[in-house]
Amino acid sequence: MAVTIDARGLSCPQPVLATLKEIKSGSDPEIVILVDTDTSKENVSRAVESQGCTVKEVQSEEEGYKILVTRE
Amino acid sequence: MGLVSYLKSKFKEWTRHGEKLPGVDRGILIYENTSEVIRAENRLKAAGYNVRVMGPPQQIQSGCDLVIEVPLMEHLEISRLLHEAGVPPLKMVPVTGPLLAPVDLFQTVDYGEHLMVRAANMKICIEKATQTIVNISGGGCPDVPYLAFQMVGKTLHETPRPRDMGHTLCGYALELAYKEMLRQCSAS
Repeated sequence: MAVTIDARGLSCPQPVLATLKEIKSGSDPEIVILVDTDTSKENVSRAVESQGCTVKEVQSEEEGYKILVTRE
Repeated sequence: MGLVSYLKSKFKEWTRHGEKLPGVDRGILIYENTSEVIRAENRLKAAGYNVRVMGPPQQIQSGCDLVIEVPLMEHLEISRLLHEAGVPPLKMVPVTGPLLAPVDLFQTVDYGEHLMVRAANMKICIEKATQTIVNISGGGCPDVPYLAFQMVGKTLHETPRPRDMGHTLCGYALELAYKEMLRQCSAS
């Protein structure tokens, strides 16, 4: 089961902070983050990996990107 | 125009009837581009002057996104030094009112558990409890991804300094943001 964070429309660093909050407080094994800019995609991916999680997949979508993250 | 003539004309601009403007003790140097600001700041600090890089006042329509605030009493010596260093400003303007006051270069946003400091075009964000850097963004310079890779996940005291890694104006702005974040964290 994956939890989804819709960070589209949020300015930096809010997509990163929303993702970190879920990593720390949530328990779902997978997290899906929706972002709408290249910068947010890169920042979220970097932040996720700094927490020991893995970016399993990044899908390009019509309105941005869908980042699939798994907890270690 | 010779140097002496230039300095005389600037002195006239800064004075009224040959006397210092009442209550005015600061001036700002305006430059065409930020790389000149950095060179001038370095030169002035190396010479021991107490100067600050700030944002331009709203009434100033020319120049780049950074200005240097200088003590007005020393503007003649500063002008001479900058001309000799090859970085004369576009203008030297006394701060005679609120609309001519340079604005703080830093913007701080408190996100609760996180704190962000922005300096010019660069942002640094930390987790307050651990002072770990969670995000570096902004700029658009080619070295920003490298700077972010090196800094994210490290604490403010572990991280390498942007000034030692960056080679662009973004690295310079990030160093300013980093120093301001350190200052705020030390004060709290």
